[in-house]
Amino acid sequence: MKPILTIFKKEFKDITRDRRSMMMMFIIPMLLFPLLFTIAAAFTTRQTQKVRTKTLVVALITNGNAEAFREILLKRDDLKIREDIAEDIIPQLIRSDSIDAAIRVDEQFDAQISDLQRGQIHLYFKSSRDMDASRNRLTSLIRDYENQIVNDRFQRLALDRMIVDPVQVRRHDIATQRERIGKSVGGFLPYIFVLMCFMGCMYPALDLGAGEKERATLETLLVAPVSKIQILLGKCGVIVLSGFASIANSFIGFFIAVMLQREIVARILDALQGMFEISSILLVLSLCLPLTIFFAAALMSVSIFAKSFKEAQSIMAPLNIIIIIPVFIGLLPGIELNAITSLIPVLNVSLASKEIFAGTIKLPLLFEVYASLIALAALSLYGCARWFERESTIFRET
Amino acid sequence: MVIAKNIVKTFKLSRQQKREMGDGFQGNTIDAVCDISFTCQPGRVFALLGPNGAGKTTALRMIATMLKPTSGSISVAEYDTVAQSQAVRENLGFLTGNTGLYDRLTPNEMVRYFADLHGMNSADYNTRRDHLCALLDMEAFANRRIGKLSTGMKQKVSIVRTIIHDPDVIVFDEPTDGLDVVTSRNIVHLIRDCRNAGKTVIFSTHRMGEVSLLSDDLAIIHKGQLQFNGTLEDFQNQMQTPTLEDEFIRIVEQA
Repeated sequence: MKPILTIFKKEFKDITRDRRSMMMMFIIPMLLFPLLFTIAAAFTTRQTQKVRTKTLVVALITNGNAEAFREILLKRDDLKIREDIAEDIIPQLIRSDSIDAAIRVDEQFDAQISDLQRGQIHLYFKSSRDMDASRNRLTSLIRDYENQIVNDRFQRLALDRMIVDPVQVRRHDIATQRERIGKSVGGFLPYIFVLMCFMGCMYPALDLGAGEKERATLETLLVAPVSKIQILLGKCGVIVLSGFASIANSFIGFFIAVMLQREIVARILDALQGMFEISSILLVLSLCLPLTIFFAAALMSVSIFAKSFKEAQSIMAPLNIIIIIPVFIGLLPGIELNAITSLIPVLNVSLASKEIFAGTIKLPLLFEVYASLIALAALSLYGCARWFERESTIFRET
Repeated sequence: MVIAKNIVKTFKLSRQQKREMGDGFQGNTIDAVCDISFTCQPGRVFALLGPNGAGKTTALRMIATMLKPTSGSISVAEYDTVAQSQAVRENLGFLTGNTGLYDRLTPNEMVRYFADLHGMNSADYNTRRDHLCALLDMEAFANRRIGKLSTGMKQKVSIVRTIIHDPDVIVFDEPTDGLDVVTSRNIVHLIRDCRNAGKTVIFSTHRMGEVSLLSDDLAIIHKGQLQFNGTLEDFQNQMQTPTLEDEFIRIVEQA
C-alpha cells in the first residue's frame, strides 16, 4: 500500500504543477457554466428585445378589401406599411431583405366575409430570419382581426360564442416543478459533466502514460522495487481524482451560474435549488465515481500503449465523440431508465442523473446502475493491469 | 555479481516491423539476444560493447527486470530476475544517457521519491542525500525545478537518483550518449567510484574510448550474438589490428 501512496503523492504533486491539467480540473469546469449561462442569457435577451421592438416593413395589397384590417395595420407604430409594391416582386423583395413581410387580401374577400364564407389573406415571410418574428407578429394581428369578424358574425346571428366552444379543458399537472425542470435540465447536465469527467481524466492520463514514455522516466520507475500493479494504481488514483474534481467543479460552476442569473424566475430558481439538494448531488457524484475509474483505466491503457504523447492524443480525441453518443441518446425523448438502459455504461449515468435530479429515481434501478458501473470499473482496471504487464505494450518501439 | 546464462530474447514482430525488415526477411519473430552468457564480478567494470541495434539495451533491460528472457536465466546479487524481480530491483541502480527526470519536480523531490520507493527511512535518506549532494556539488540547485536545469545539472540529479539506495549492482545504458565532455566526465568518475566501492558495474556503449578508459571486462555483442567475452587484457592480447577501435570494427564486420 505504501508504494501506491508514494506514487500517488508524487503524481499528484506533478499534476498540480501542470497548467493544462489544472485548467481541465478547476478553471474550465468552474467557468464553463457561468460563461455559458451568461452568454446565452445576454444573447437571448438582446435578440428577443431586438425582434420585439423592430419596426417591420410590410407590403400590403388589399385590392380594395378588408379596410378595417388595413386601418389596424396603418395605426401601428411598429409597422411601416408600403402599398406601392406589385404582387409579383414580393418574394424577391423579402429574399433580398428589402421588406420583412407582405400581406395580400383576396379580391373576393369582403364579399365572402359578408356571405358568412371564409375569405383568404396571404402572408409572405421568411421564417429563417429574426426568429420568425414577422410571421409571429403579423399572424397575431390577423388573429385579432379574425376575432373581430367572428364576434360581428355572432352578433349578426344573435348567437352565443360558447356554442362553438362546448368543451373547456382545464389542465391539472401533478408533476412538481422540480420533476419538470429535473427531467429537462437533469438530462442536459450529465452531457456536460460526463464530458468534463472524460477531459479531466484525459490530460493526466496522457502525461502519466505516454508522457512518462516520452520523457524516458517510465524505465527508471520500472526499475524501482515496486510492482507494475502498484505503479498503475498510484497513477490511476491521480487520474480518477482529476476526473472527479472536474465533475465536482462542474457542479460548483453550475450552482454559481444559476445564482448569477437574476433573470431566472423565482419559482424556477426554487426548483433548481431543490434539485441541487446535497443528497441529490452526493448520489450523482457517487454514480460518477465508478464511471471515472472506468475512464481512468481506459485512458491509461491507451496512453501506455502509445509510443508518444502525440499518438496518445490522436487515439483519445475520437473517444470524446464515442463517449458523447450514449449521453446524447439519453437526451432523446422516450428514452427512460429501465432494466436494460441501466446496464448501458454512460447512458445509465445520464438517465439515472436525470431521475435523481427530478426526485423520481427508483431504488432497484439505481442499484442496477451501481452494479453495472462497478463491474465495468473493475473490468477496465483489470484489463489495464493486464495490458500494463505486457512487455510489448510498454516497449512498443522495440 | 551478475550472472547471465544462455539468455535469449525473442520479440514478435508487428506487420510494420516485418515490412521494415525487407522482403528477404522470413518469419514472425526476431531474436534480439541469442544465447549469450557472461559474468560481471563485484569491484569490476563490465562493458557491453556493440553497434546500434546489437541487443545491448535488450540485454540490460533483462538484467534490470524490465524484460523477461525468453529462455536462459540471469541472477543479480544472487536473486533471479524472473522469480525474485523485486529483490533484484532493490539491489540495482539503472542509469541511461537520457536523464529520465520529472521536469516539474525539484532534484530534492525527485531523489526523495526514489528513496521512498526503495523504502529508505528518513535518517538513512538524509545522510546519503547530504553525502551525494556534497560530492556532486548539487546544493545550489537542489530546490529548483528540474526543467530549468542545464544538461549537466540534470545528469547529476540522475546519478543521485540512481544510487541513492546504495545498490550493489549499477547498470549504465549508453550513459554518455549525447552528453557534452564535462557531463560525460561526471559519469566516468561515477563509474570509477562505484568500482572502487566494490560495486558490480555494467555499462553499454558503442565508444571504444570509454571501454579502454573504464572497463576491466568486456563483451562484444552484434546481431544479438556474443562475439567476444573476456578481460580487456585478453582482448588486447588477441588483437589483429593496431587499435581497439579497428579491432572492434573488424569483429563486427566479420560476424
